[in-house]
Amino acid sequence: MRVAIIGCGTMGHLHASMAASCGLRIIACGDKYKHSAKVLAEQYSAAASDDSMAVIADPEVDIVAICSPTPTHAGYAIAAAEAGKSIFCEKPFARTVQQCRDAMSAARKAKVKLFVAHVVRYFQEFEAMRAQLAAGKVGKPGFVKLYRGGLFPMGADGWFRDYEESGGVTLDSMIHDIDWLRYTFGDAERVFCQALRRSEPEAIDYSTATFRMKSGVIAKVIGTWAQPGGFRVETEICGDKGMIQFNSDETPIFTMKRTAPGETPSTIVPASPVPKSPYQLEWEEFIAWVRGTRQPRVTARDATEAVRMALAALESAETGKPVKL
Amino acid sequence: MARIGIMSFAHMHAYSYAACLDELVEAELIAIWDDNHSRGKKAAKQFNTAFVAELDKFLALDMQGVIVTSENVRHREMVEAAAAAGKWVLCEKPLAPTVADAKAVIAACRHAKVGLGTAFPVRYSIPMMAVRQMLKSGEYGEIYAASCTNNGQFPGGWFAKQALSGGGATMDHTVHAVDALRWMTGREITHVYSENGNLLRHGIDTDDVGSLHLEMEGGIQVSHVASWNRPKSFPTWGDVTFEIVCEKGVIRVDAFNQKISVYNDDAVRAEWAYWGGNPDLGLIQDFVAAVDERREPTVTGVDGLRAVEVTVAAYKSAAAGKMVRI
Ligand SMILES: NC(=O)c1ccc[n+]([C@@H]2O[C@H](COP(=O)([O-])OP(=O)(O)OC[C@H]3O[C@@H](n4cnc5c(N)ncnc54)[C@H](O)[C@@H]3O)[C@@H](O)[C@H]2O)c1
Repeated sequence: MRVAIIGCGTMGHLHASMAASCGLRIIACGDKYKHSAKVLAEQYSAAASDDSMAVIADPEVDIVAICSPTPTHAGYAIAAAEAGKSIFCEKPFARTVQQCRDAMSAARKAKVKLFVAHVVRYFQEFEAMRAQLAAGKVGKPGFVKLYRGGLFPMGADGWFRDYEESGGVTLDSMIHDIDWLRYTFGDAERVFCQALRRSEPEAIDYSTATFRMKSGVIAKVIGTWAQPGGFRVETEICGDKGMIQFNSDETPIFTMKRTAPGETPSTIVPASPVPKSPYQLEWEEFIAWVRGTRQPRVTARDATEAVRMALAALESAETGKPVKL
Repeated sequence: MARIGIMSFAHMHAYSYAACLDELVEAELIAIWDDNHSRGKKAAKQFNTAFVAELDKFLALDMQGVIVTSENVRHREMVEAAAAAGKWVLCEKPLAPTVADAKAVIAACRHAKVGLGTAFPVRYSIPMMAVRQMLKSGEYGEIYAASCTNNGQFPGGWFAKQALSGGGATMDHTVHAVDALRWMTGREITHVYSENGNLLRHGIDTDDVGSLHLEMEGGIQVSHVASWNRPKSFPTWGDVTFEIVCEKGVIRVDAFNQKISVYNDDAVRAEWAYWGGNPDLGLIQDFVAAVDERREPTVTGVDGLRAVEVTVAAYKSAAAGKMVRI
């Protein structure tokens, strides 16, 4: 199967390498900027274009991997569906719920497979937590806390910093935990959220939400793009018989590298290597689905629900009121 | 030498306060009164002091201050009795379960011209004092947001009986965070939203989890978790943590994260043995000094009231399903 990468930034590079290590061929790269497309295309001897729609329409292409900024996802997904391609789309599925629905119905109509890459469902530590939960280790869960974040990403043309484009930390990053929350604890009843969404004098977003699940479970979800550096994930699941905690600060490897002899500023990097990257695992599952051998653990409907929940959180932050789901 | 008494050992903090009084050369624990006689007698024996069964006899003793560590709903009657007897009072948190009771307690002490303090030892935590200093220094710029936790193991007993506590984990574990936030920022809390529920512990009639969202003056947004979510097997009693988001950086503080891990095959759990400073000691030392100097304790009854207002608003919010203005 031959893959086209649309959007050749951070995720475009990552997904090209994941698809390649699954044995797929990257044959075309599309980006708003020809140069960005070229830089990636050269690594795979692929074609580069600044006309992403033309790349999608290319009859040689079987799979379209959408890795462009969030507001562009739905348009490319619909075009890819209409061209009969299998679709691998980065999360968030789209910028609005309507866009999610339009993309879903285009895929349904064209009978193509549309996969939304909610990668946290493939993270080993999150799978391990689900296994412990399923084994009854915490008993009946009642309280969940999910924390994720670090510095405010920039992105091409600083698109992450435009709240209209990216939806800030709530839509872009908290959505990982929102999806996992729903995956693991079912649907939510309502949400209350506070979100900083500052641009001046510094881009700082800090979002804290309480989701009340239909089961009664109370979930505190915190997303931060407020740190000057670093990235951490922290989770806690409390039940009537126990508790599970995870903290990404606790890693097997911790390196400190001197920038130059005698110089003080150094880069400090924690690392936690795994046998297979979760991004690779999601590609494997997507490919198995395209080949008709397996159902993926995340559906486009799940991804739409995640967008709906994240946007409800933002609505609550805007109005100061809880929002019913 | 300040002569201090303790009224009721219903709250386990009484044991820590008694130990602090023992440690301070400038103070003496001269008597214990407790409506539960056997508990009071036992404590008196443990701390090598007198047990007095009758309240009026206890209050007639030559003693300048009392520490009230009863069930929440009984704070009012005890503080009023102590104040009427002219004693300085240090009252366990929450000052009272209702705003009316908290105000009555303050009025009683004002009327009797005695000092009233609320037991918020977090103000004497050395890591917390250091963080407050960082915030005050201005090097972090403006404060934008915070998220805090006060999680704990399930205390059981009267804590989880509405009629004696006036509320569950949200009542028990919101006030420390609220007081610390006010103290660190110098701002008041203006709005409260809360989701709470009884989701973890069985057979109780109070909440055991509260997930709060506060708004402070100047638009500071605050997330707080008040809970009894730590299982019996957890290595320590709980935590007091803050993540403070500022213009120029982020400060994270886990006030009791000065510990060694202890693994002992005779115990049911691994244990975190704490080796940091004892905030209770600072609190008691200040109360003893206040008694001695006949001044207000540093953390006042009004500080206690402000925290009660937030807790009460949290329950109102949870019942009404909307944000409540204070
Ligand atoms: N799953 C994850 O862990 C994860 C992590 C980061 C980002 N993401 C998601 O991946 C997507 C891309 O994020 P990123 O970090 O790679 O961003 P990025 O800014 O690094 O890359 C985006 C690329 O798309 C290009 N682009 C912009 N507009 C375009 C358009 N209209 N058509 C085609 N290309 C266009 C840009 O030039 C850039 O090269 C976003 O939806 C983001 O939310 C997911």
